[in-house]
Formats: sequence, C-alpha cells, structure tokens
Amino acid sequence: MIPMTLTVNGQSYQLTVEPRWLLADVLREQLHLTGTHLGCEHGVCGACTVLWDGRPVRSCLTLAVTADGANILTIEGLAAEGILHPVQEAFWQEHALQCGFCTPGFILTAVHLLQENPEPTREEIREALAGNLCRCTGYQHIVNAVQRAAAALSDNHGHAPSGQ
Amino acid sequence: MAASSWIGRPVPRIEDRPLIQGLGRYVSDIQLPNQWTLVLVRSPHAHARIRAVDVTEAQRLPGVFYVATATDDEVFRRPLPGMSPIAPPVLAYERVYYVGQPVVAILAENRYVAEDAADLVKVQYEPLPSVTNVEHALKGDLLLHPELGSNIVDHVSYRRGAGHEALNQADVVVQVTLRMGRVSAQPMEPRGIAAIYHPADDLLTVYHATQSVHRAQERIAEFLGMPTSQVRVIAPDVGGGFGVKNGTYPEEALVTYFARHWGHPVKWTGDRFEEFLGTYQEREQTHHATLGVKKDGTIVALVDTYYQDNGAFPGGGIMVSRNTARNLMGPYRIPHFAIDGYTVLTNKVPQAPYRGAGRPQGHYVIERLLDRAADTLGLDRAEIRLRNLVRPEDLPYDTGIPDLVYDSGNYPEVFRDLLDLVDLPAFRREQAEARQRGVRLGLGLAAYVEISAGFGFEGARLVLSDNGTVTLYTGATNQGQGHRTSLAQILADTLGLGLEDITVVEGDTAGIPRGIGTFGSRTMIMAGNATHMAGERLIEAAKPWAAELLEAHRDDIVFDAGHFFVKGVPSRSVNWRDLTERLKAAGSAPLTGEEYFSSNVATYGFGAHAVIVEIDEATLQLRIQRYLIVHDSGTVVNPLLTNGQVIGGTIQGLGSALWEEMQFNEDGQPLTTSFLDYLLPAAVESPEIEIHHRDYRAPGNPFGFKGVGEAGIIPSQAVILAAVEDAYRDIQLRLDYAPVTPKRLFATVAEGGNRA
Ligand code: FES
Ligand code: FES
Repeated sequence: MIPMTLTVNGQSYQLTVEPRWLLADVLREQLHLTGTHLGCEHGVCGACTVLWDGRPVRSCLTLAVTADGANILTIEGLAAEGILHPVQEAFWQEHALQCGFCTPGFILTAVHLLQENPEPTREEIREALAGNLCRCTGYQHIVNAVQRAAAALSDNHGHAPSGQ
Repeated sequence: MAASSWIGRPVPRIEDRPLIQGLGRYVSDIQLPNQWTLVLVRSPHAHARIRAVDVTEAQRLPGVFYVATATDDEVFRRPLPGMSPIAPPVLAYERVYYVGQPVVAILAENRYVAEDAADLVKVQYEPLPSVTNVEHALKGDLLLHPELGSNIVDHVSYRRGAGHEALNQADVVVQVTLRMGRVSAQPMEPRGIAAIYHPADDLLTVYHATQSVHRAQERIAEFLGMPTSQVRVIAPDVGGGFGVKNGTYPEEALVTYFARHWGHPVKWTGDRFEEFLGTYQEREQTHHATLGVKKDGTIVALVDTYYQDNGAFPGGGIMVSRNTARNLMGPYRIPHFAIDGYTVLTNKVPQAPYRGAGRPQGHYVIERLLDRAADTLGLDRAEIRLRNLVRPEDLPYDTGIPDLVYDSGNYPEVFRDLLDLVDLPAFRREQAEARQRGVRLGLGLAAYVEISAGFGFEGARLVLSDNGTVTLYTGATNQGQGHRTSLAQILADTLGLGLEDITVVEGDTAGIPRGIGTFGSRTMIMAGNATHMAGERLIEAAKPWAAELLEAHRDDIVFDAGHFFVKGVPSRSVNWRDLTERLKAAGSAPLTGEEYFSSNVATYGFGAHAVIVEIDEATLQLRIQRYLIVHDSGTVVNPLLTNGQVIGGTIQGLGSALWEEMQFNEDGQPLTTSFLDYLLPAAVESPEIEIHHRDYRAPGNPFGFKGVGEAGIIPSQAVILAAVEDAYRDIQLRLDYAPVTPKRLFATVAEGGNRA
C-alpha cells in the first residue's frame, strides 16, 4: 500500500492505494466518483477519460500511484455550483447522448478541444473525438453539440467556466 | 384525444441532467454493503471434455470467499431457464461447447483479488474436434448435442403460390450464395448484475442491466424456486442494450443464486473481453437464393434456403432465423416464394437478437438479388425497384407470410423522392469526372419495411401524487431511448399537464405488476398507447371528485386540457391540484389509473437509403461521401429522439457493413476480442446522415405510432455492398459477403472482382 495525494475536482485527498490499482478504480471505488466509466479497460473507448492538469488521459491505463500530486478533473467537477458547463448544456440541448455511458468521456474530451481550438470545424471536432467510442448516437448530434458549445463559449468569452 | 401540444415537439430529454454530470447510476456504479465480486473462469476451448478442475490454490487466496464448480452442487448443473429446446448448465459440466462458456465461479472481496484467484484455477481439458461452420455441422458426423439427434435445431418454412415451380415462368433466373459475417452488439456498458437478499422478508432485490425486468424476474424466480413476488428486478441506468441485454445468461443465475445462498450482496460486471466472449452474437447466415424475373424486371418468384450458424445453444437465435424469413420480401410484391431457414448448432457463442434481428438479413438477400437481376437484365438498379415496390393501390398488402399485411404509406413515391434527392444524372456525371482523378464513386440504393411490435402487451400505471403531479410506472425499460421524456410527452397531452409535472419510472417490477420490455422497437407503440389509455382511466377516476367539487353529477363532467368542468360551463373548473387537495382533505387514497395495451397488429414503417461511397483507386481507402434516408416514422412523439434512433442505427449498420466481424479460427477460437481487432465506427469514419421524413400514421394502433429503432440498421449491408459494386461497375465487381472489410475489398478487387 502506497500513500498518495490526489486533487480531484478541487478537493485534496490523502489516499493509500495498492500500486496496481488503476486511477479509474480509485476514483470510482475509493472516492465514489462513478461518473468516470469503464467501457473497455484497454485504452480504446475513451469512456474513462479524465483531465489531468487540463489534459485528457485514460484513467483505465493509468496506475493511480503515478498520479500522486496530480490535479484531476472528472465529469462530476465540471458543473460549477449547479450551473452546467456550456459543453454539458450543449450535449443536453442537441440530444448528444442516448444511454449516456460514453458521455462523460466525450464531454471532457470536448472541453479540452475547445480550450485548444475555440472554433473547430466539424472535421476537426470529429478528429478530436476519434479516440472516443459511442455505440448509440452515431456521433452526429455530438458534433452538433460541440459546435453549439463552441458558439456559446465564444459568446460569453471570459465568463465561461474553464473546465480546470 | 386532447389537442396535441407535447407530442411532436423536439423537447430535450428529461433524463439528461444527471447523465451529463456523471450522476447516472449504472449497475457497475452500485456498491451494495459488503458486496462480493463475482468473476468467472471461462473455457479457452471451443469443444473439450473437462478432465479435472483444481481450485485449491484459488480457494486459499486471502480475500477469496468461495470458488464454485459444476460438480460442487446440483444447482450449478441446472439448465439455464428460458432457453429451449436445449440449455447449457449454469457452469459447464463435463464438457465445454464454446470459447467463453463459464466453468468456474469465484467470489472475492474485489475484482483484483477475484482475477488473481481465477489465474490460480487449474482446469484440465481434453480438446475435442469442433464444429465451427454450418457446412461441417450439416454433415452430421459430429453432433454437438446427441440427444437432439441433429445439429439442426429449427426449421422455418414458408410457401406462396407455386413456390419453386414458378421459377419456370421467369425470363431470367439469378442465383447467388450470399453470406453475412458474425457481428457483436457491443453496447458501451458491458453486461452486469448485482443482487442483495433480505432474509427477513425472503426478498431478493436485483439490479440488472436488462431490457426486460419482468422477464428477468420470471427467469430468476424459476431458477431459484421463489415466487415472482419475492424477486424485485430493477434496471437502473443501462448503457445500451441493442437486444443482447434481453436474454438468459449464466451470470444472472449465478449472481442471484449466490446472493440468496450466502445472504451476501453479490455483483458481477463483465469486462469488454467477456462482452466479446460471453455475450450473444448475431447476423451469421448463408443464403442460397434464387430470384426469377420477367424481362421488364417484374419479380416472379423468390426461392431461398438459408442456414444460420447459431453457436452451441439456441440463445435467442431461433427467433432471429424465423424473423429473417419474415423480412425476405422487403417492400416488394413477390407472388411466389419458397423459403426454408435452418438454425444450425456449432461450437461458438450462441446467437441472439441484435438490433435488427433478422430484418437486415432478409433485406440483404432481396436487395442483393434485385441488384443482380437488374445487372443481368441491363436494367437500372433504381428502375427494377420501382417496378416491384408495393403500390398504394395494393394496400393493405398481404405479403403471403402469416400476419404480415403492409398497411400504410406510398413506397414508390418515397423511393422516387430519394432518387430526386440524390439527383441521379448529376451523380453519374460526378462519378465519371471523379474517375479521371483516380477516385471511384459508387451509389447504393435499398428500400425497406420496418416491422415492429405485433405481439403481447405493455402497461402503464399512473399515480396522482399529493402535489398534483403524476408518476407513470411501466414495464418498458430504457437503455438510452429516452422514454422518460417521450412517454411523459404523451401523458402530458392526455392529462393537460406540463412535462415537469410527470415522472416516468421504468424498469422496476415493484412499480407495475406486469410488463414485457424494450426490444424490437416496440415501446412507443405498446407503452405509448398504454400510457394514453391509463391517462384516460385516471381522468375517469377523477371525475367523481371533480363532480363533488363542482357540485354536479359526474356524468355532466367533461375534461379538457387539464381542466374538469360541467358541460357547457368551462369558466368554472377544477384542475389536478384542486383534486389532490380534495383527496387529501377527505383522507382518500391517491387516484390511480392502470391500463395494458395489447395488440397483435404489427406496424410497418418503411423508407429507403442511398449511399455514395468514395474509394481511392490506388489505396482502396473507402470514405462515405453522402448518406441519405427517406423515412416513415408514423406519428412522431419527439423528432430529436426519432432522428437519434435513426442516425444511431445507421452508423451501427455501417459498422456491420464495413468493419465489424467476429472472426474465428478453424478451431473455433475467436480472434477479434478487443476494440483493436473488432472495429466499431468512430467519429471520423462516420458520415453525416441526411434524414427526410415522410411520416404516415400507423392504422393499426390508436396513436399511429411505428417503430423507429431499426430503420437505420436494416439496409446497411445491402446498400453498402451495392455502392461498392457500383464503384467498380467497369470490372463487374460482385460482392456476396458482408461486411466488405478493407481486406476483403482489396482481395476481391485484386482477383478481378468476381468473388468475395
Ligand atoms: S475504459 Fe479506458 S479507454 Fe475504454
Ligand atoms: S450514448 Fe450510449 S454509448 Fe454513447
């Protein structure tokens, strides 16, 4: 068992974890943040995506101990005090989710995309989401949602939550 | 019927707020107090005798509570409930029949420990010769289950007119062997189940990623020998189903048995590897099909004999094979046919319905035959369809298959609309131009009928709460379809309430005593109509109370848009809130309304797809340039959700037409058991789908609803293979195998195009 510190959604946790435990399992089972989903556990589906210091990582391929001292954002930390992040709001309005299992991974990946590229084309959005699988939606409404979120973020520039 | 205000509106979903914040609750998220984790040791052989199982080391590992094998107890040798005529035991006993069959069950404190223990289990197998394809299975030299006397487990047969003989009346007869590879549904949430037993009440509560809580309840009760009243099944959020979360599986029996036997909560959540090994698969069939046509392209007769490679047990595969026969006519007039379908057992994981469930198979065959016939006659592929589509004057059109009578729409008009949208002459010019640039363009066309529902019932139970809001309970379950919104829209119209006043509770056997579930695109048709009927009943139940408040006779009370009033005096009315106040004051029980909608009338949505593929001459890289759908959804409750279903189904279908295929080696070993080998469509290769609605009410149910869950996936293989062939018209490319994977396309083109 190894002691470690993890900051998740702005809150700092002192944890003891087995070295082989995955970051996803620690988030889900020790911190009860079950919004991070496990779809494949082999790095392909992106359902387990979290933002580590703002960058998307696959928590199913990350040993928790390697995240000692890291600042992690999970889907639960995205809405600020009950106010949905524009990407969440857009996923809702555009019907970008059906079963919702893939959704946390898509939303966090899109949040990162829009920080890097605030006005992506549909092709760029598809490219950026290529590492996330959705079996329900066929992606079209997800692309619509990311476009809508981009527009919303540029409209209230400077006021939007940064997703950090 | 109340004036429609909610039905037809593209309302964003009520269920989304928790899901977009990571607050959904899927089975894997449920932590029961002190739960034990179940992990399975599965067979690595397609066919083998089990010589010995040694679990001593596994048993000794700290954190392991129990290790079970089939020899430990008779219960593990009991056949799975709900599978006939032959079912596997819950844990393999003496023999294993497919790679992935559960052999040993391990209960431990968590999955890490349980998987360590699984590594310590030693099973000695004596591999046996295996049957891994239909051709071998039919020889009969190796019977999987000798007690059945044959590897053929089902035969479905239909004849119309002169059947096979009618081929003599044809000018041209085309004959082809058409194959479809195996595919796997792969919902993003793998299967999972958790159970907790309350001994004081002898009550078992089960959290189940299932499409039918009531069927699961029946199976579990039967297996455990408990009354159904003592088994409560709850489907929490379910991460996609597509048919494969609807059947009987060993994990269901094991989790529920252990939870009751040990008095300890038990949970199993499958991982992706298990989803490839142990979850039922679909589509694998071989058709020997013949179509006889007149010189002008008119169909004379269809003759088809097909075999379904069903895997080691029936699963739900027999239904798929039978449903294939019912879909072979597509939307066409076929005066004579002779159809024989055989379900054949092999050493693979069983087949069971996956989205489409026979519809894509049947359409694949008739559509491919029409393309072949058109090519042989030198007729345009669009033209041959127009000459054979069921015409409005034919309706109601009896297909010649029992209980299948097409009832609505205008098939040729919709097909012509599709052709106009494609702009055929413009496409042909573009196709010629592109060729100069080393790019091959190809157009595929296919039409379809989406046969939905047509059996059973579904119910809705309404309870008027103290604050004037209504809760709707239904046995239909949700795996992403959005019923909490669409059913609420229907009820809002019936009761004159706002969506915020309605809560829909699905997937809990404690909410409603009977139900069937969500599959075959039946929920809007069945639960949708039931919801309205239950609403009417609630209104009737409310009338005496309204009469009392209005000091009138109940027969004089009318209800309109949320208000009760005396006939002719709408100015003085009471609403649902007033009624609940009155009920409360009177100390009366809450008002309820419960109704079940039963119907044996199927619904017949229809439409047509067109796809334009773009293939690089040098690399054979394929891209979808355009995908068009003209589609009949019947009465649409929520266009956002309907389009979501159609687009989602279409992209899934593209997977099974272009990339997805479960491959097995000659020993029956699956070779595609991760997302690296079995390729689901992702965002880049998925095209934008253009949907054009031509909606005709279904005459067979009060609201005119039709199924929409399968429209997208039905023509996939047909339309893609047609498009790729069209791109290679100059070499007369012939594709007889779906999917046309990059590898298969390369091989076929390299061979000069004559076989796949
Ligand atoms: S669960 Fe991590 S990528 Fe699929
Ligand atoms: S919404 Fe179901 S997997 Fe994406």
